[in-house]
Amino acid sequence: MESGGDNVTILKTLKHNEEISVASTVESIHYHDVLIIGGGLTGLRAAFQVSNSGLSGALISKVHPLRSHSVAAQGGMNASLGNVPGDDDASDDWKMHAYDTVKGSDYLADQDAVEKMCLEAIATVYELEHMGTVWSRLENGKIAQRPFGGAGFPRTCYAADRTGHNALHTLYEQVLNKNFPIYEEFFVTSLVKDKGRCIGCTAIEIMTGKIHGFISKAVLMATGGFGRVFNRSTNALINTGDGLTLALNVGVPLKDMEFVQFHPTTLYGTNILMSEGARGEGGILINSQGERFMEKYAPNSVDLAPRDVVARSIEQEIREGRGFDGGYVHLDLTHLGSDRIMERLPGIRQIAMDFAGVDPIEEPIPIQPGQHYSMGGIDADINGATMLPGLYAAGECACISVHGANRLGGNSLLETLVFGRLVADKIIDYINQTPEPDIQAVQLAINDIESKIKEVMGRKKSANIFSVKDEMTETMFQKFGIFRDGQTMEKGLKEILNMENKFSHLTIDNKNLAVNQTLVQFLEIEGMLKIAEVVARCAIKREESRGSHTRTDHPDRDDENYLKHTLIELDDKNLNISYKPVTIGMFEPKERVY
Amino acid sequence: MKLKVYRYHKNMENPRYDTFELELKPGLTVLGALFQFQQNFDDSIAFHYSCRGAVCGTCAMLINKVPRLACRTQVESLLNGDLKIPLSFYPAIEENVDWNPKEEVLVEPLPHLPVIKDLIVDMDKFFDYYKEIEPVFKPADSTPKKERLMDPESIPELELYTNCILCAACFGSCPVDGNDPEYLGPAALAKLYRFYIDPREANGIERIKTADMPRGWWDCKFHGNCRRVCPKDVPPLIAIAKAREQLEKEGEER
Repeated sequence: MESGGDNVTILKTLKHNEEISVASTVESIHYHDVLIIGGGLTGLRAAFQVSNSGLSGALISKVHPLRSHSVAAQGGMNASLGNVPGDDDASDDWKMHAYDTVKGSDYLADQDAVEKMCLEAIATVYELEHMGTVWSRLENGKIAQRPFGGAGFPRTCYAADRTGHNALHTLYEQVLNKNFPIYEEFFVTSLVKDKGRCIGCTAIEIMTGKIHGFISKAVLMATGGFGRVFNRSTNALINTGDGLTLALNVGVPLKDMEFVQFHPTTLYGTNILMSEGARGEGGILINSQGERFMEKYAPNSVDLAPRDVVARSIEQEIREGRGFDGGYVHLDLTHLGSDRIMERLPGIRQIAMDFAGVDPIEEPIPIQPGQHYSMGGIDADINGATMLPGLYAAGECACISVHGANRLGGNSLLETLVFGRLVADKIIDYINQTPEPDIQAVQLAINDIESKIKEVMGRKKSANIFSVKDEMTETMFQKFGIFRDGQTMEKGLKEILNMENKFSHLTIDNKNLAVNQTLVQFLEIEGMLKIAEVVARCAIKREESRGSHTRTDHPDRDDENYLKHTLIELDDKNLNISYKPVTIGMFEPKERVY
Repeated sequence: MKLKVYRYHKNMENPRYDTFELELKPGLTVLGALFQFQQNFDDSIAFHYSCRGAVCGTCAMLINKVPRLACRTQVESLLNGDLKIPLSFYPAIEENVDWNPKEEVLVEPLPHLPVIKDLIVDMDKFFDYYKEIEPVFKPADSTPKKERLMDPESIPELELYTNCILCAACFGSCPVDGNDPEYLGPAALAKLYRFYIDPREANGIERIKTADMPRGWWDCKFHGNCRRVCPKDVPPLIAIAKAREQLEKEGEER
């Protein structure tokens, strides 16, 4: 397998050393049947499944799993349990959940995947309950459900406003109980491709600076979103899209990257999330004129229209001068009363007090829209399989696609657990019919990473890497934010390209490899710049408005030309865009009104 | 304002303190100040961060001699003297560093755990103790088809303990943990109690017997620091007192 050139394709710009220093690297090469990259809900749910199968697996995470961003999810998880009746005593079912999801997605979601997710949702919520999660309860003892944006029923199961926290801790407890190996604080530096399939990865052990190699028959990406590419984001600081960069670098396409969700209600100043559950419980949005402006934009759903609709409405109010100084509006909960706030929304009350000095029981919360979720991600089919055999993706880093152009609140926690389990099952099947991988490619990949780090450390510094990151996040929010237009985006793309060029000459001061968090951030920023370019290119090409992607120069949805998924892949150094059809099922695309 | 930061790595004989001056802007947190330190003063500084919203529990450290989450702690409030928390004394909070609390914020690693570098401590011991109490749901009956029903009245007490984010601020504030490195500590015991009171479990008293030993329920001296520093208002003291009561009652009945 000397020919073909695809045995080692990572980081193509580097020439790997001629000699493989086996002696120095072999001790840090680990073998597992399955590698799961990412320790949030998707990764932990997959780990649980792999552990039950008896195969050898391991989870690699750049942070302790409990510090994953899943922990920050607030409002809940959708499943048509029907515990709370809808209007006129109607009862919910999974098809209505699927319909709301597809309509919410502005018809860009693949309906086979949506159907699967909504059908599996019920068992998924029960499963979590059986694992010990403490859900909020109704008087009759059943799991409580609340209304959420874009949903026809009170369908969102919740644990006060700490649903992600409760779920993540439960899953961590389950995985810990299995003694499943976890490589904590390992930053994955490359995926390894050999003979046309993915056979592992390399990673820096952050605490020691040592480069490790991992060999496996399959790799599952569960690395989360790339929210931190934008400067007003609800996301944890660790959400830097690393998994997407890794996939791009082994030639795996990303999908629908122009679709970035802006959450309507993020705390003014820090952009920490104020759950949609706040409006689900009856909270309302008020502008500086004292008007409940959502009545104008969504006469039926009002404050509980889907996120794209509400975020655009708030932004428009602010732009037209009906916001407060600094650019925000009010989320008013005061009429809910102290008891309801303390019972249902204690977490966001605490956050509002800690970070904005505002007690929502007493006064309205200052909020503005901010980046929240990445609908796009690694192109994966309904089984989580990517174009590269052996490489799978699930959760926010993947685009399967169940959210299309706009995700409904309460569907992301659901996606992580449904696909964490289902994709793990597919991986288990795949592994049982896959030959043993070869160690050599991993050894070469370790050498490549070592040379790359050496090269970066040897560069001459000319600017601060963090200021490049600030410029990037500012450009992305200002030029690829809630409202987009071709001219502004073209300017933004040029800026990003200049930043990429500038960054390629930069280095860091700290040359010591052990506990070098600046090196980790350097690698994150390098990847984020590429992701920013990807978002920019995909957004410019889509000349229509659909879901979260709003073009003021192309204000209408254009099903004739754009009812299709965008694919983008890295071919040598060029990013190539192509398209593929959307899977339509029960629901024919129609106009989306709320 | 100035940030005075504890610096240490394994090749140093003794730790040192670095002081960095920065502009105080409204909303500046200790975590924000540490990022400024990293970006403008010395990029070799090491500290944990993730959510920056006081929910993930990774950034607990000793701030002005009190264990706190760096992301949640407002610098301005510290300088105004608003965030003083009276603690029962233990050696790690001894005022042995020269610092002016009116214009400086003192940042040191969380006590009672070994320092790896600067503000990063090795959490293994904390998580070993957590693991030792078997933090996994052990249901009473076989798995039902739907959810197990739960009285909504039982939720508030459970939530007191499920709200724990395992940041270890309590562990770093506990005089007993400082004195007896084998003591399981407040977080692990509160977690054990969370499973004990879960009405879906039916292991009864057996559950809390996991920690029926001197280094478990019986080592606590009710200093109360754990409750005072907890960013989520978890009350380990109540759990410990109630567990002891149950164990004592059971002992008498036998």
